Amino acid sequence: MLTYIIRRILILIPMLFGISFLVYLGLEFTPGDAVSHMIPPDLANQVSAEKLEAIRESLGLNKSFLHRYWSWLSHAVRGDFGHSISGGVSISKIVLDRLPATLELSAAALIISTILGIMLGTYSALHKGTYTDSGLTAVGMLGVSIPEFFFGLVAILIFALKLGWLPVGGRLMPGMESWIDHLPNIILPALVLSLMMTAGVMRYSRSSMLDALNKEFVKTARAKGMPEWRVNFLHGFRVALTPVVVIIGFRLPTLIGGSVIIEEVFQWPGVGAEFIQAVRGQDYPLVMMIALFSVFAMLMASLIVDVLTAWIDPRVRLGEE
Amino acid sequence: MPSDTALTVRNLKTYFYNNNRCNKAVNGVSFSIRRGKTLCIVGESGCGKSVTASSIMQLLPELSRIEEGNIVYHAKTGDVHIERLERNSDEMRSLRGAEIAMIFQDPMTALNPAYTIGFQIGETLKYHTAMSASEIRTRSLELLRDMGISLPEQRIDEYPHQYSGGMRQRAMIAMAMACNPKILIADEPTTALDVTIQAQIFELMDNLKVEYKTAIMLITHDMGVVAELADEVAVMYMGNIVESGTVDDVLRRPQHPYTQALLDSIPVLGRGKQQKIKAISGSTPDAYDRPVGCQFAPRCEKATIACNEMPLDTSITTSHTVRCWHPRDGAP
Repeated sequence: MLTYIIRRILILIPMLFGISFLVYLGLEFTPGDAVSHMIPPDLANQVSAEKLEAIRESLGLNKSFLHRYWSWLSHAVRGDFGHSISGGVSISKIVLDRLPATLELSAAALIISTILGIMLGTYSALHKGTYTDSGLTAVGMLGVSIPEFFFGLVAILIFALKLGWLPVGGRLMPGMESWIDHLPNIILPALVLSLMMTAGVMRYSRSSMLDALNKEFVKTARAKGMPEWRVNFLHGFRVALTPVVVIIGFRLPTLIGGSVIIEEVFQWPGVGAEFIQAVRGQDYPLVMMIALFSVFAMLMASLIVDVLTAWIDPRVRLGEE
Repeated sequence: MPSDTALTVRNLKTYFYNNNRCNKAVNGVSFSIRRGKTLCIVGESGCGKSVTASSIMQLLPELSRIEEGNIVYHAKTGDVHIERLERNSDEMRSLRGAEIAMIFQDPMTALNPAYTIGFQIGETLKYHTAMSASEIRTRSLELLRDMGISLPEQRIDEYPHQYSGGMRQRAMIAMAMACNPKILIADEPTTALDVTIQAQIFELMDNLKVEYKTAIMLITHDMGVVAELADEVAVMYMGNIVESGTVDDVLRRPQHPYTQALLDSIPVLGRGKQQKIKAISGSTPDAYDRPVGCQFAPRCEKATIACNEMPLDTSITTSHTVRCWHPRDGAP
């Protein structure tokens, strides 16, 4: 088990190299460069071409693609991710500033969607065919099919603007000291961010639970004369959980990706909001850092899923050929 | 009622409902199971064997129910009418596993992959006895050893996927026998196993019958199994018992054309490859669109006008009953 985890982590290294190259290549193919975004459009014809060239030269943007990639990479492996082109701030500092906000939001959404999704899905399965079940299924379909930013805007409109119960956005306001003070700020973004995943987890747990309840061993458990709740939870739910854990694990990166848009909608000062600005401004060191961070989160999630599956399902043994 | 009768089923009717149609899966079945004896229920797939077993255990699927008849369990403390109990009532649950146990066709799917064998055997004990955790473990070890599983101390903490097919079925039987049930219902317990393992499992079941005086109801479609294990046989066709009697009665002096046809369709070793195996002509009728009268009539060589009416159970001898207008040994 331990050797398996170590091996998996070692495999991460070449994968990260490969992906960083692809992202860099992708940035190379996008039209324009960082400098063209620095100059406001209405001033564009006042700045001479020589001047622009000089800025490009000073930022090292005129060197060949491979040369630039190599220079970025050789710094990155030493832990130096460079400075933001537009702001001049150290990338590590930006990420360290912004990361807690993103993790806070993602974790809140993950907890909400896991608990709510599994509970509602299991309830639905145990009450198959009732109006509650059909209602939940319909809500689930809506949740999966309507994009999050739309829910975000509607939620702001209703709960923040019309009812005035919760703040419109932002994370920390002056005067906020303990985490309870800024709890109202996280409620809306976390709920909206978790909505799609809750719906997905709910639908998945429902079908997984129904599947488990149809298994022969559930009949065996009943034949032992056990109470129905024990049959359902010990034998049905326990077995239904494995595929649900896999789904939740693989949704983890989506949660971080999804938060890019939700952070923008709710003015949440996380990595996602920064990412959008960085891509717009072709701020390549920042884009690289955030992209690699997301990739890392994704790869780690798949590792966590594997370990969890092995832990839950005794038939799965890690690292055996 | 003879005192060694463990269970009596009288005129049991269990129907399935599907899209407003009714499948009379079990349509008036009567038999009894005796202590220390094996009753084999034989018949082809879909004839109602398993539904009969599920009815006794009250483990029927949704959209099906016992319509009529009695299932009487003769407990020491008096008779229990199983058909009157709620499916998941406390009384029903106290019978299941403790008094009447059941083992299933495929031990691969009938054991929960997420728990150890020891845990799954222990569950039965936990719900029907007041044993402590360590007593449960001792008893589980004893059961595994009795069922012929080697190294039980090691095997008890293993998961079903670490067991071979035959061992899984042994573990299933250990689980079923945990509380010394009076009745063991085995629903085709060896269909999923290979032949040598089959023989071992049957030997084990035969021992249980002798040692613990367990009444065994064995559901099978294999006439060879019947010849080897049964004391009594009931042949089912389309929801009815068409012939029943001792194993000698039914196998040596079959009266019903269906029983005869079943026996004729078995290849016999030593008769060479050219032997003629008589298949039963036609196919089983649609369960939702049954023939009128005798269910076997459309496929029967002896069928006459009389067969348009359902025949009554007719006694050939005191032990031998047949439900046919034209039994082999003369008219009823």
